[in-house]
Amino acid sequence: MEVLDYIWLGVQAVFLGPEAFSVLGLPISITILMVLAGFLVGIMVGATPGLAGPVAMAISLPILISAFGYSEDALLPVLGFLIGVMKGATIGGAVPAILFNTPGTPDAYMTTLDGYPMTQRGQAKKALRIAHFSSASGDTFSDVVLIVCAPFLAIIVEAYLDLPEKTALFILSLSFIAAVIGGSPAKGLISTGLGLLAVYIGTGEDFYPRLSFGTEQLASGFPIASAVLGVLVIGAVFKGLEELWLEKRTSGNIAVVQDSGDQRLHVGDIKRLFPFIARSAFVGTAIGALPGIGSTLAATLGYTLGKSRHKKNKEDSDPNFGEGAPEGIAATEAANSSVSGANLIPVLSLGIPGNAAAVFLILAAESIGGFNPGPAVFKFTVDEVNPELVIVFGLFTTMFIANGLNWTIGGIFMRSMGIMIRIPKHILLPIVLLLALTAIYVQETNMAAIGFTLAFGVLGYFMRTLAISPLPFVIAFILGDKLEQSARQAFAATGGDPFFLFTSPVALVFMLLSVGVIIYATRKPKANS
Amino acid sequence: MLKSMFKATVAAVAGLVIATSSMADWTPPGPIKLLIAFRAGGGADTQARLIAEELEASLGWKFIPEQVTGKGGVNLLKALSGMPNDGTAIGMAVTESLGYNLRSANAGLTAADFTGLSTTAGFQLAIVGRTADGWKTMHDVIAAAKEGKDIRFGSMSPRLADMAYLMEEANGVQFNVVAYKGGKAVLDAINAGDVDVGFVAGPQGKGVAAGDLVELASALSKPLNATPDAPLMSDLGVDFDADGYFVFVGPKGMPAEAQEAFGEAIASVVSNPDLKVTKIINKVFGGATTIQGTELDQLLQDGYEGAGALMEAVNQ
Amino acid sequence: MRKDSHSNLILGLSCVVFALLVLFLWIPLDVETGFVEKVRRKYIIGDGMAPAVAAIFLLIGGLGLVIFERRNADQPAISKAALKFIGAALALLFVSFAIMRYTGPLAVSATNFLTNDVTEYRLLRDTVPWKYLGYALGGTILIAGLITMIEGKITRKGLIIAVLAVLVMILIYDLPFEDLLLPPNGDV
Repeated sequence: MEVLDYIWLGVQAVFLGPEAFSVLGLPISITILMVLAGFLVGIMVGATPGLAGPVAMAISLPILISAFGYSEDALLPVLGFLIGVMKGATIGGAVPAILFNTPGTPDAYMTTLDGYPMTQRGQAKKALRIAHFSSASGDTFSDVVLIVCAPFLAIIVEAYLDLPEKTALFILSLSFIAAVIGGSPAKGLISTGLGLLAVYIGTGEDFYPRLSFGTEQLASGFPIASAVLGVLVIGAVFKGLEELWLEKRTSGNIAVVQDSGDQRLHVGDIKRLFPFIARSAFVGTAIGALPGIGSTLAATLGYTLGKSRHKKNKEDSDPNFGEGAPEGIAATEAANSSVSGANLIPVLSLGIPGNAAAVFLILAAESIGGFNPGPAVFKFTVDEVNPELVIVFGLFTTMFIANGLNWTIGGIFMRSMGIMIRIPKHILLPIVLLLALTAIYVQETNMAAIGFTLAFGVLGYFMRTLAISPLPFVIAFILGDKLEQSARQAFAATGGDPFFLFTSPVALVFMLLSVGVIIYATRKPKANS
Repeated sequence: MLKSMFKATVAAVAGLVIATSSMADWTPPGPIKLLIAFRAGGGADTQARLIAEELEASLGWKFIPEQVTGKGGVNLLKALSGMPNDGTAIGMAVTESLGYNLRSANAGLTAADFTGLSTTAGFQLAIVGRTADGWKTMHDVIAAAKEGKDIRFGSMSPRLADMAYLMEEANGVQFNVVAYKGGKAVLDAINAGDVDVGFVAGPQGKGVAAGDLVELASALSKPLNATPDAPLMSDLGVDFDADGYFVFVGPKGMPAEAQEAFGEAIASVVSNPDLKVTKIINKVFGGATTIQGTELDQLLQDGYEGAGALMEAVNQ
Repeated sequence: MRKDSHSNLILGLSCVVFALLVLFLWIPLDVETGFVEKVRRKYIIGDGMAPAVAAIFLLIGGLGLVIFERRNADQPAISKAALKFIGAALALLFVSFAIMRYTGPLAVSATNFLTNDVTEYRLLRDTVPWKYLGYALGGTILIAGLITMIEGKITRKGLIIAVLAVLVMILIYDLPFEDLLLPPNGDV
């Protein structure tokens, strides 16, 4: 089994997997169909204000698992669908931002700055085309980087990191995430601490379920889906409903501007935009590869960098950033779209999720089983096939199928999504709430899980109200078990050395960095958010 | 191989005959909740779900599978003990859950609080190491430990850790016993070099066949299928073995005809060599073993009592 | 936000107090094995260690808020209106799910009473129409209730949307999948 054999097996797993139907004798595999379905759903969801990719991923996951079962055959169709959603939502988010000045996803906020002015000038279609082109470029670039980097990173980790170093790496990831997500490192630490505490309830090695107050309900701990969906999705729904409830404002009429002038995207345009796209794609990819920073910061940075370049180079007649400059859309969209692929680098090679979409990919892999993202996945075994590695290359294949769809039909579909803004939020959100709770129930089949989910939803709501980012909570919840396991293992493997985190140089560096990143973030509070 | 297939076929035919004669006597009064004590997607979970599917197809019973993992199956047993005993709730765990784990959990339950339905298969539970390290049997590992090499020993349950400890005592060596959740995790750790040797109960088969891994000892009372020459626990100075089976159980006091119907139905599935589940059982778990009825009740009871002896030996 | 908000101070102090409670009360009283334990003559990490690390994260975060971020500019607080909203929403959700849980069993009891049958909802939980009763009624009340809460008045449109949404959810979650159980059918 050479590397090329694995790549080929992965491609085959996608194209020659279980067949959905055949067109003119050519079999169409279910995985391809699921990527397409996910991609279209993603665009729709991204284009709907109040929804975002993770919501769709959360709700569809239990349905997908029921449809495909708990076998290895289920992994590629389910993960393919989720990847499709992730990518679709990225370009879909630009639609309401450009057409209606309402970002569909938080990272599309910067897109409104130049997108909406272009719409007001009657250049909506052109703005959408620019957004699509830049987004697809950034996304594709990021995927290439992922495929090149993830295996090497994993192999390095596996070769050089022993159990104590792996433990230290988890600690470093957690403190890094706490320090950089949201504006306040202190609040990030609180969010992380709560997430860890929640995952440690009812679990543990001893036969008495710890911290369970002796109750039956807490004895098996909180279901991971309850915690993740509760804090991320239900919390957001509560917050959205509260805002509507407080404002109770009637939505104003949407002014209709007729499109006028040349709407096409010319080679000249592309040439002019290319430097902005390239620079933002680099920025987005670099940021995406670090767990936890996310696409909003990437968009902000890409936009800011683009702005300074644009100021120097533009003709006087060209619009400034913020006044409807196509370069502004390109810089933003390329940056926020190039986060998603690179974000899978830590997911696949370390098992550490960096954003909400990655959280759901890990959740899917854990629910189905048979695929445990982490360095062991990239073991290029020679005599026998490593099925997990085949899945990885299958995943890479689905990403490129999604990119292909993005380049071919994505733009057309995206430009038809303006209608989604007409769905009123106060009707959408209650429906999303019941959908999400039903999704939890069909997975967990007990009412206690709904109760837990609502409780986590309330927690997520208060965290949002107090400007505490819920993402460190969720990531800590997912990593908590791995952290404890590897600490126990490292301690036992070193024969009970209490200083196991500090005896090897690599572990020591990781530990110093964990403290350093918190101190650094505390001393330099971020200006924005 | 041929012999075992022949045996399986005979069992299947026998199972079918019994099936047609008495299975119609009992049907579940409603859909059956099937609790599964294993992580979704693993070999054990797949086995449980496939058996349920086959029973749905052949008997028309309706199953609702649900994962209740954690605490070595004790969480499942706790949940199951509170459920109705009319045959609408059963669970799949391992015999160790009702023995060692239930006993050490102190949960106010004993093996007698459950109705044994049927085992499905045993384990090929071995101490596994990497071929590249050059050890042929566990004796070599013990010799290396005696020379002062730190040996990291992966274990997936407290009972197995106890046995590793008794092995240390008997041979005057020290291992660093590292706990993992499940045999697959131990296997990954062996492959990654995080531990040197460890207990694995089936998934090592492929690596052993390919020559990457070696079975250093059998943790069972009998030799392993793939490495019959590997020393047994008794050869290593340990008076206990880790024999165990996958087992379907119901709550205490299930009607005898329900117990019988489940037992027969499960046996008829796992002994039919054409089914996917039987192929998995043969490949990963060394073939079907269906212990039922009073024999099973006795086995569970003995497992529960016997666990005390192991605990005592360790605490001496 | 308001300049005089002390919410960071309050939040920070609450976290510190909570973290100390976890460390010195909850963990000692509700974890059996402490920070490290001696098993088979060797020390291993006990079940108390990981929650203690969680509490330390909380403690440092809380102290950080109190010491470094007490005077930060933007300090949103929990308003009375927010509490009122979440209280009302939770009350509505509680009622909806109680109805979802008990409608089916009550309907079966009522039928038993009328027909002198002795059947249980548990055995009918996979049978149409029984299995839809609780979900349909509870779900409709949940959605219609929340829409009403936002709009401030009961509208026919809200009710119709709720009924349709629940029907669609039954269509996507239940009809195509044999194994899926709608709430509350896994509990009963």
